[in-house]
Amino acid sequence: MSPQPVSNHVRPTSELLDRLHAAKRTLHETHARLPLSAKVGMVLQLQRIVLPLLARQRPLRYWERPWEIEP
Amino acid sequence: MSISFGSALKVLNEIKATGVVQEYAIGGAMALVFWTEPIATYDLDVFVLFPPQEGPILSLAPLYEWARGRGYTLESEHIMIEGVPVQFLPSHNALSDEAIETARTMDYDGVAVRVVRPEYLAALYLEPSARTPKRRERVAALKEAGETDQALLKQILQRYNLEE
Repeated sequence: MSPQPVSNHVRPTSELLDRLHAAKRTLHETHARLPLSAKVGMVLQLQRIVLPLLARQRPLRYWERPWEIEP
Repeated sequence: MSISFGSALKVLNEIKATGVVQEYAIGGAMALVFWTEPIATYDLDVFVLFPPQEGPILSLAPLYEWARGRGYTLESEHIMIEGVPVQFLPSHNALSDEAIETARTMDYDGVAVRVVRPEYLAALYLEPSARTPKRRERVAALKEAGETDQALLKQILQRYNLEE
């Protein structure tokens, strides 16, 4: 077995990592509990954010465009 | 912009009222919105049960005829309804029949809309033909969703041999 490479990087404590993960969980849970119209609003926002990024990777399919509606 | 998502949902109830479809339920990623954290999606999946037709092969012609009559454009496999590309998915087996029949009626801005329950949504994602890493993530999110009845989910997965 080859020896582990030595690193001088300072590492976070497990407590800090736990706190960061817990914060992320809380964020997901908060999103999940939003009113329905706010969640549909998020989908519409995500379409506007994600589609231009997708378009850089591949041609978009005919249905892949932002919905021109309100939540 | 003046069209709202609710306008498209209203139309789903109209299709059922006309008898073009016998029953419907929203599935796919837009159904997730009702149960858990929203994700990016670009079309609205609607599972449908059609009334009896003549002949052994299901025809979508009545649906397309209805859409044309309403002035909605057809784009390959989607119908553009009030600004939303909608894909109507005829029920493909007993599990999806049950998912449609047991859908929960939810309220979206005063519009009653039928949505596949989270337990059935998870089971549909676990069907061999649908099982992808992305969908497994969705199943994980559904399993954690407060609304998911764990006992019912387990029972459905057992009955349809979909246990992971």
